[in-house]
Amino acid sequence: MLLPEPIQKLINAFERLPGIGPKSASRLAFYLLRAPEDVAQDLSEALNGLKDKIAFCEECFNITEAGHPRCEVCENPKRDSAVICVVEEALDVLALERVGAYNGKYHVLHGVLSPIEGVGPDDIKIKPLIERVARGGVKEIILATNPSMEGDATALYLQQQLRPHKIQVTRLARGLPVGGDLEYADQNTLLRALSGRQEMS
Amino acid sequence: MHLKHLSLTNFRNFARLDIDLPRRVILLVGNNAQGKTSILEAIYFLASFTSFQTNTDRQMVNFVEAKNSLAVARLVADYQRGRRNHHLEARLILEPTGTNGQRLRKEVLLDGVKKQMNDVIGHFNAVIFVPQMSAIIEDGPDGRRRYLNLALAQAVPAYASVWSDYNQALSQRNALLKALNESAALSLSKGGGSGDQLEVWDEALARLGAQIIQWRIEAVQQIERLAARVHHELTHGREVLRLNYQPAYDPLPPLSMKLTTDTDRSALKADDIRKGFLTRLKEIRSEEIARGVTTIGPHRDELRFLANGIDLGDYGSRGQIRTTLLALKLAEVNWMKERTGEWPVILLDEVMAELDLQRRADLLKYVGESEQVLFTATNEHMFAPEFVEKSEVWKVEDGTVKKD
Ligand SMILES: Nc1ncnc2c1ncn2[C@@H]1O[C@H](COP(=O)(O)OP(=O)(O)OP(=O)(O)O)[C@@H](O)[C@H]1O
Ligand SMILES: [Mg+2]
Ligand SMILES: [Zn+2]
Repeated sequence: MLLPEPIQKLINAFERLPGIGPKSASRLAFYLLRAPEDVAQDLSEALNGLKDKIAFCEECFNITEAGHPRCEVCENPKRDSAVICVVEEALDVLALERVGAYNGKYHVLHGVLSPIEGVGPDDIKIKPLIERVARGGVKEIILATNPSMEGDATALYLQQQLRPHKIQVTRLARGLPVGGDLEYADQNTLLRALSGRQEMS
Repeated sequence: MHLKHLSLTNFRNFARLDIDLPRRVILLVGNNAQGKTSILEAIYFLASFTSFQTNTDRQMVNFVEAKNSLAVARLVADYQRGRRNHHLEARLILEPTGTNGQRLRKEVLLDGVKKQMNDVIGHFNAVIFVPQMSAIIEDGPDGRRRYLNLALAQAVPAYASVWSDYNQALSQRNALLKALNESAALSLSKGGGSGDQLEVWDEALARLGAQIIQWRIEAVQQIERLAARVHHELTHGREVLRLNYQPAYDPLPPLSMKLTTDTDRSALKADDIRKGFLTRLKEIRSEEIARGVTTIGPHRDELRFLANGIDLGDYGSRGQIRTTLLALKLAEVNWMKERTGEWPVILLDEVMAELDLQRRADLLKYVGESEQVLFTATNEHMFAPEFVEKSEVWKVEDGTVKKD
């Protein structure tokens, strides 16, 4: 039996999300089908609101509420503008903020280099980072991409691109569990990793 | 290494099998198509998480079970390694994909904890020998690289994950080379940053590749020493066996390659190999962009077998190849013992039928030194009566095993 198109479409949409396989996708779709009306309603409103009510910070590309050109961190005058921590996703900012030990600013790349997926330097926020540095005032860049192959490659690429600017570039030390993403790392590990970051030659 | 208990569920023609295995020689005897090879395949799978027969991983799931939309084959080993007992479970899961197909997923649990396969390979060790493996010597280089990979993955704890990382870097680099090739064809220049991007993947490829090359240099040298010794005995000193490792990126300067006498790469350090590899990648960059693919590195390595200087892949007689394979497999057993401190479980499928009486006696003598050996045969008369006397003889019949 073929599934009715609306359900198949919903299953396909779920399957495209990270961490969701075909089985969970079907389970979610069928759950929504029989769940009370307001569950599906809430979800669809939340999804619609996502693109309308959320924007990206003009300076660091962290998430911000629509209407605010700059995020909370960039708006905060107490944060040290001389240090920028470069992360893959906005979620990584949250993880580092929860630790509460970092007082610099961020730069969210929104991805990593991955030729297989057709993602090159122009497809993520690399140029804006270089421009930020070129404007002056930055003394240190901390590369905090995930310790995956693509995360490492992106860090190396950034390091090369930043070389002419004569600023200190460090990479978060690998106290992180292998294959473990930043957002899941526990706070102690992150803290140790932060203090143990190493200069890239 | 002592495999104490094996339990199979929906594995090939075994709906369910539960056997206790003694620490000695076990003869699995039975007619054709009863399940003898399948038992060895299952045990080897628990050491390598792949079938020794290429590309048949999904075929291992019992085909009646596989008709279910969700099908699971389960292999469980209880074994002793050193002084400790362990419990290893592997699951082959055929699950539905979005579009009415099935895909195979493998899960591994060591002592009840779910783990990455690459981290568990080599925890339980086995060496398998089937006569068809003469293809390693005779056929294309793919089989020889696979042979090296499977042996090294069991003996060097980090090998499997470095090898899979290498392949990931290789895929990324190939994708980039292809993209650069295409944009060059359209004479598009992607903002000048393309060379910089390649450099990043060169780094990853060279770092991981150098580690693989160094491990292979070391392994081939050690296995060669052991294999040559056995081979010398098997041929009563008439032949000298050599294993000639030919890395596609050769860290030795090209000049010394011409001196066929000695190509000793054993003193090379991984970091020196990395630097040389990186330099070479830069030298051939434009050529590689033109071809859109990575042309050097351990994914293209070659290994040749030579007896008295003659290449056995090209000129070996059947007898020579059989003897060499036997020497190679016995060397692998000893090598694994040297590297890990444990005897691997030895799995020998129908090897007696292929060997003459002298070779059979030689083989039994060598494996007699180890801990646990499983032989299959259609007939126990392949073995000398004294040997059968000392062994455990089991009858394999239509997916069941009966002790004699
Ligand atoms: N996925 C599967 N499901 C069920 N049966 C299978 C599956 N794969 C193979 N078989 C069958 O299992 C039987 C046992 O095969 P196996 O190769 O283990 O036999 P064998 O005892 O080694 O025979 P031989 O002496 O001919 O080598 C064969 O009849 C084979 O067709
Ligand atoms: Mg068989
Ligand atoms: Zn910001």
